[in-house]
Amino acid sequence: MALRAALLRHVRVPVRALNLTGRTSEQLLSGFGSLFRSMSSHGDHITREEVIERVLSVVKSFPKVDPSQVSPEVHFQNDLGLDSLDNVEIVMALEEEFKLQIPDLEADRIDSCNLAIEYIYNHPMAG
Amino acid sequence: MASSAAAAAAAASAPTRTEVLALFRSLLRTARRFSDYNIREYAKRRTIDAFRHNQNLSDLSSVSTAYCDGMSQLKIAQRQALVYQLYAPNIKNVMEIKTAPRNH
Repeated sequence: MALRAALLRHVRVPVRALNLTGRTSEQLLSGFGSLFRSMSSHGDHITREEVIERVLSVVKSFPKVDPSQVSPEVHFQNDLGLDSLDNVEIVMALEEEFKLQIPDLEADRIDSCNLAIEYIYNHPMAG
Repeated sequence: MASSAAAAAAAASAPTRTEVLALFRSLLRTARRFSDYNIREYAKRRTIDAFRHNQNLSDLSSVSTAYCDGMSQLKIAQRQALVYQLYAPNIKNVMEIKTAPRNH
């Protein structure tokens, strides 16, 4: 315990005294915005555009799909004419692309590009 | 009497749509765990082909037979994935090497 406390004291980052020189709080926050989370491990979550692009490329490269029909709102079974087995295959391909493990209950629910994009974007481990 | 009992037994054991899709997904997940490229691709292809082939089965007894076959294949695949892992070679298969495009 004493060793841990000594180590923490050694490693701890010194707190900076803020200079409130008449700037508004918003300007201060934007100026220090990058510093607030510079030590955070959550800063590099995937962007929504990248999720959309990669999801669409996975769906387009599926052999039974016509690439010109693919858009972010397309429904796998209603618009692309796929069946439930193809649905499972596409969700598996998305799991491989984003290195995720999607549980069966959630995977059964995903049957359109919209839902896939929402699920992957909100997943903390999407890579 | 015997045939109706058999029919009742078949109806009781016929898998639901959810169970069939769950079996499909388990087979594909197990196929992914193989360390060898060839057997991995084969397992994926064979699963998809077999399920497509049996897609339009309508009578309950053949559906449950196909489902039981699928379950036994799943168990075989799960055991074999372990065995392949125990004896996996260190060299990657040539199809798994990601090379940058060359400029000639």
